Amino acid sequence: MTEDTSKTISRRFLLKIMSGGIAGLGFTQLNSAWAQISGQAVQLLPSLTGPNRNPYWNSTGPFVVYPQKLPLIQITDRPVQLETPRHYFLTPFTPNAAFFVRWHLDKIPNAINLSEWRLFVEGNVERPLILSLNDLMKKFKQVSVTAVNQCSGNSRSRFQPHIPGGQWGNGAMGNATMKGVRLKDVLDAARIKSGSLQVQCEGLDRGRGPKDKGSYRYQKSLYLNDPILHEVVIAYEMNGAPLPILNGFPVRLVVPGKFATYWIKALTWIRIITEPDTNFWMTKAYCIPDTPHGNTTPEDMERKQIKQIPIGTMPVRSFLITPDGSDMIPLAMPLTLQGIAFSGHGQIVKVEFSDDNGITWHQAKLGKNYGRYSFRTWKAAWIPKHTGKYTLTVRATDEKGNTQADEGIWNPGGYLWNKIERQEVVIGVSE
Amino acid sequence: MKMAKIRCILISLFVIMPGKTPLAQNELPGLTQSGQYQQGILGSISQPGPIRYSPDTIYLVGTYPLNTPELIRGEGLEITQTYCRFCHSTTYISMQPQLSASAWHTIVDKMIHTHGAPIPEEEAKQIIAYLQAQYAQKDHK
Ligand code: HEC
Repeated sequence: MTEDTSKTISRRFLLKIMSGGIAGLGFTQLNSAWAQISGQAVQLLPSLTGPNRNPYWNSTGPFVVYPQKLPLIQITDRPVQLETPRHYFLTPFTPNAAFFVRWHLDKIPNAINLSEWRLFVEGNVERPLILSLNDLMKKFKQVSVTAVNQCSGNSRSRFQPHIPGGQWGNGAMGNATMKGVRLKDVLDAARIKSGSLQVQCEGLDRGRGPKDKGSYRYQKSLYLNDPILHEVVIAYEMNGAPLPILNGFPVRLVVPGKFATYWIKALTWIRIITEPDTNFWMTKAYCIPDTPHGNTTPEDMERKQIKQIPIGTMPVRSFLITPDGSDMIPLAMPLTLQGIAFSGHGQIVKVEFSDDNGITWHQAKLGKNYGRYSFRTWKAAWIPKHTGKYTLTVRATDEKGNTQADEGIWNPGGYLWNKIERQEVVIGVSE
Repeated sequence: MKMAKIRCILISLFVIMPGKTPLAQNELPGLTQSGQYQQGILGSISQPGPIRYSPDTIYLVGTYPLNTPELIRGEGLEITQTYCRFCHSTTYISMQPQLSASAWHTIVDKMIHTHGAPIPEEEAKQIIAYLQAQYAQKDHK
């Protein structure tokens, strides 16, 4: 058979191609001009981003699949740390199956027997309690709160110089309605004795280090006189469903407005203590410089002039979710910019966007209000007026007047990042 | 022989049939490329099946998948693997961005003194040397 014959396909050939598949035939090499555009335009993300900050919205790891989860982005595999892809932040509530995961120690629950599991309330109390999940659901008043859960190290991959630890992009956050009982109600039932200082929380996770080290157990404490204590919830429901095991089934602590480090998963011990908790996770990890915005420099840290304090409330942040730069946008197409904003300090009152890299700002329309601790969605109509690149930026302001700065910060933990976000989009010709 | 035959039929299918360009211009205006598939670098990923419920009170999800990238080959790799995958996978090493040589020194010290990793001094030195050679700035690939 020669090149210019046979315009019809023989039955024999069809059978062959169907049984063998066409993938291995290499027909993309048929025509050189064609071959130039026929490779996969979408490449793999490079896994390392060199000495520079991670330029992508999310971290650069592969998608991985875990029980009860949609494909999420791997940070680490043992213990499990998974990041939520950008796309899931189009809605005010982050689906449980897409909610980020962050454990510190590698022995995390695979199975929990609810006939044996109990929540222990102990320490400096008059009536220690041992509560089953059913006790929690039946014996206490049910409350619910919609709150953002954000890892202290969210966006750590932005810091320069680089900071060791999980190289999170922006997806170590999520928003959910958490239903359960008030921590205060449980503590009242246990009757805290005088001389008490903090409430310490601990979950079922354990590490393989020595028993007196942070590599063995993860504990976090809150001061009993912290006003947030009135709003802390022991939650057994997340967005109307049981919590995924990776997010803390059967119950997790919810500390609205504060970083996720306090939101103990698989919460099992609540301990009233009379001395400040000095364990590794309180005094070495999750501490920030006691400076404005937790900002310092490697040089100042070296000189050890900087006092460090436990991290607390989340600074105001806002994100553009779409357009995300993955498509070229035709000139003059009327688009809707969409995103979210939140602040641990109070209600979001304003979201502004700019299409000239932050020189002029325009107000966006805020979505439904689900409470002061929730994501607030925002939208803005936008029409690109020239071809080429635009740099879209977004910033939010909360009810206390906090807003986002355009200078990055630095601290040794890689915490509190809330610099104004930028997204480059490319506008193509439409005529 | 067979390959050549299939190729020439494909050429006739995709190139010769519609004329000079692969696609007839007026039929599908503007279409620059179509019908392209490739055994790609963008992969597939398995879906989890439904959880197998146990009949009693145990809520279980089964085991978690490991996906630990291989560490870069080099002197000290084995000893690093021996000591650095006890409490967590070595993904904790490979996920780090370009760190300075001194940052790797600090990390190993922290694992030993703060987290209680039982690593003898001589071995610790070899691990630090390995991490600095393979995972510190400049040498970082
Ligand atoms: C005794 C247990 C233990 C051993 C052994 C151990 N680590 Fe760690 N490592 C930890 C813990 C605990 C963390 C904190 C985990 C977290 O926050 O997710 C950690 C975190 C890290 C991090 C992230 C940065 C940081 O400081 O949190 C790196 C990098 C790391 N380990 C490297 C190593 C290397 C290299 C070795 C071998 C020399 C090693 N680890 C051995 C317990 C250990």
